Amino acid sequence: MFKGAVVLTALVAVADGTFAAPAAAATVTVQVLDVTGAPVPNAVVYAEPTGGQAVPKSLKQAEIEQKDIRFFPLVSVVQAGTPVLFPNHDKVRHHVYSFSSAKTFELKLYSGVPTSPIVFDKVGTVVLGCNIHDQMVAYLQVVNTPYFAKTDMSGNARLEGLANGKYALKAWYFKMAPNEAATEQPLTYQGADVAASVKLAVKAVPVQ
Amino acid sequence: MRWHRLENRIVALFIVLILLVQLAGFVAIRKAIDENARASIRDELVIGERVFLRLLEQNADKLTQGARLLASDFGFRQAIGTDDRGTITSVLENHGARIGSTLSMLIGTDQKIKASTQDYPSADLQRSSLELVAKAAETNGASDTVIVDDSLFQIVAVPVRAPVTIGWVVMGFPVDQKLISDMRALSSLQLSVMVSTRGGQWQQDVSTLPKEEAGMLLGQLPQQFSASSFIPQLKIGDNDYSARLLVLAKGASNQSAVAVLQRSISEAVAPYRRLQLILLTISVIGVAMAIFASAFVARRITSPLRSLADIAKRLGAGDYRARIDIKGGDEIGKLAEAFESMRTGIANRELEIRRLAYWDPLTDLPNRVQFATLLNAAIERAKASHGQCHILMMDLDRFQHVNDVLGHSFGDSLLREVGRRLELQLERENDKVARLGGDEYAILLPATDATEAIRQAKRILQSLEMPISIGDQTVDLGAGIGIAGYPENGQNSDTLLSSAEVAMYVAKRRGSGFTLYDPSIDKSSQESLSLLSELRRALDRNEFLLYAQPKVELATGKVVGAEALVRWVHPEKGFIGPDNFIPFAETTGFIRMLTSWMLNKAAVLCAELQKKGITLKFSVNLSTRDLLDQDLPMLFADILARNQLSPSSMCLEITESAIMDDPIRAQLTLERLHGMGVELAIDDFGTGYSSLAYLKRLPVDELKIDKSFVMNMEHDADDAKIVKSTIDLGHNLGLRVVAEGLETLAVWNLLRQMGCDQAQGYYMSKPMPGDRFAEWLEQWKAPEMPGQSENVAI
Repeated sequence: MFKGAVVLTALVAVADGTFAAPAAAATVTVQVLDVTGAPVPNAVVYAEPTGGQAVPKSLKQAEIEQKDIRFFPLVSVVQAGTPVLFPNHDKVRHHVYSFSSAKTFELKLYSGVPTSPIVFDKVGTVVLGCNIHDQMVAYLQVVNTPYFAKTDMSGNARLEGLANGKYALKAWYFKMAPNEAATEQPLTYQGADVAASVKLAVKAVPVQ
Repeated sequence: MRWHRLENRIVALFIVLILLVQLAGFVAIRKAIDENARASIRDELVIGERVFLRLLEQNADKLTQGARLLASDFGFRQAIGTDDRGTITSVLENHGARIGSTLSMLIGTDQKIKASTQDYPSADLQRSSLELVAKAAETNGASDTVIVDDSLFQIVAVPVRAPVTIGWVVMGFPVDQKLISDMRALSSLQLSVMVSTRGGQWQQDVSTLPKEEAGMLLGQLPQQFSASSFIPQLKIGDNDYSARLLVLAKGASNQSAVAVLQRSISEAVAPYRRLQLILLTISVIGVAMAIFASAFVARRITSPLRSLADIAKRLGAGDYRARIDIKGGDEIGKLAEAFESMRTGIANRELEIRRLAYWDPLTDLPNRVQFATLLNAAIERAKASHGQCHILMMDLDRFQHVNDVLGHSFGDSLLREVGRRLELQLERENDKVARLGGDEYAILLPATDATEAIRQAKRILQSLEMPISIGDQTVDLGAGIGIAGYPENGQNSDTLLSSAEVAMYVAKRRGSGFTLYDPSIDKSSQESLSLLSELRRALDRNEFLLYAQPKVELATGKVVGAEALVRWVHPEKGFIGPDNFIPFAETTGFIRMLTSWMLNKAAVLCAELQKKGITLKFSVNLSTRDLLDQDLPMLFADILARNQLSPSSMCLEITESAIMDDPIRAQLTLERLHGMGVELAIDDFGTGYSSLAYLKRLPVDELKIDKSFVMNMEHDADDAKIVKSTIDLGHNLGLRVVAEGLETLAVWNLLRQMGCDQAQGYYMSKPMPGDRFAEWLEQWKAPEMPGQSENVAI
């Protein structure tokens, strides 16, 4: 949806701002394609340094709101240790929970904005649900790097502000099997723009 | 049952017809019922199959709901999320027990069993569950019917979401007796679930049938079948079923599970059977009613017919008493009416016939036939009691004459009166008077001896002495009575009657009133019989001779004619005078033959003489019987023609009494003869009773004065006066007068003086044989005639 795409862009921009490098920054552009070769939107792309480079912390609080009996956004990505707030913008109450091993929690029936955010300090996929609205689902990918992005409608994601060095370029998509690991491929960043392509074994679903 | 009886045939026809109709209806209905029942069984089975499938589905749904409830339980999901196996298992057990599953399992997204209520679930169940989970991966749950350890199970799988699928809850139920019983309660079908073992043998899982019947069913299932199939006829124990096989599951190793839905045919048909029974009852009642109704109708038709037939039979046998009492306006009623009128008609006619046959219509006395019957009966009684009986036979004197003179109706009244008088004279109840015919009566005197019979005869004769008055006429009657008796004079009615008749004739001849039969009388009657045959023979043998006696004209002495007479020369007895056989010939009718013979002979003689130049008028006597013979004129004309004689050359003489027996017919005959030109003479005039008025009307030409007057007139002045007045009478009537018995010249002269025209007698000649007549004529010399003026005595 158009509106969702705009918000996503804004969120990435926030991240960009946080990690603005001192010098002229190059971009790692990654295109994610599904098993049929079609672009996959809403895929999470992130680069984990494998060369022992120093990794800055970018732990700005994130939000996953509930509106119209839905989580929004559907897919989020945060660095481990980031607090995430779950504001309820619906008139009904929600009971947000997760049984995922990365973070098990529950926010028992509440309305409005909870007093404190939940801190996700463990890497992994957290599947969020509402105990009283079975259809509500959201995915939060907790990664161990500040270099992450979500693909846009054309399946492209841009990683910026990377320090030179070797990385493992990972891609995760919420339609991948529950315990399936993100795809991984090596990436070397030398300050120049890099373009990479990731192919997933699943089929992309259209953005709702 | 007798076939020739109309009643039975009508009844049989009705029964056969109604049976045919009922049978046709019965067969048609039975066929329709059978088809209907089978179609409805088939439908029921199809519906039953749907119901059963729906029941299974509902069961699965219920199970699914239960499983889904479990899968959405927050605590359960939390336990799964935290992989708390102990909690998971206890929740599975708790929920499983709540919804009645025998098995509950949690299968992880990695297709592994994470928890189970059974420590070692069977391999079948594990495999089926994993298959079902694989099938349900894309959907929100699935259910299946599977074979687990040779039993049928329903299993369901629903995902556990948190909120993405984190595992599967699988629950299993055996298809048990309860489900089957529910099915039985919903439909009227019997249901059995059969599972084939790994060895290929059918084995019962659950069934609504009793155990032994279910066992029997096993043996009848086909080994191989693909999909649902219909089995029209299954025999289990004493019951017939139609069945439908429904394949529920196919397991590993070619195992199959089937549901057998059975519908009892006899149960399905039972209501129809009741209907048929009712129809049969109606048929039986209908046939029975038809039998009674047709028997009633047939009887209404045939019983009058039978009684009519009986009556007709009785009518045939002469019994007319039975009244026909069948009423009704229908054909039978009309037939009965016709019978009744026929019965009365026949009865009346027979009565009339009987009356005519046995009664004399004129006098209402028994007739000859009845008299003979009564006499026979009396003879029988006399025979039985060794007694006797007598009969009197009576004939009135001069009745014919009375009848002629006073008329037939007077005669009839007279006969009735005589009958009444006779009846009055009877002294005993059993005595009977009968009229035998004409003026002949008979009186039956049963158990009477001759003396008594004679006394009775005298009484009767005495009673007749009193004159009988009818209207203004009074007559004196005499009668002759013959008496004959059993056993002396005859053994039966015929002989007695003829004996009495013979005696009666003797009595009449003697004028003695009554005569008791005597065998000697009978002898004379025998003689009479032989006399008749001798007369006939005499005619054949030419034993009769023609004699002739001349007639002379008194005034001139000239022979002018001759009377032809007959003589009989018997070959043994010699000469027999006419007085000895002419009366007999008259009573027997032989006289007609004799007259014919006479006419012939006289004509021949007359013609012979004419040829010799002698013209004589020949006279022939006619008797009463001749006058009654209508053929006489023709016969006579024939004879004249044959001898070329003119009618006027012959003269026919008739006695007064001959005319008086039947004056009308006599006059008719005489007029015809006179018309031919034949001259007629009245013979023996003066001895009869003829009325002068009648005489005047007769067409006669000549009067012949009886010789009794003429012979004595010479000495008897009275006779002379009679002769004289007779001559005058004749002349006054314009008749020629002839005197008979002229024996002396003196009489000749007397007669001549009296004006008598002609005479015949011994003075001229006795009758002589015809062939000597010419000879006599030659020697005949008339006597000297004295003058006309000679004295006359009168």
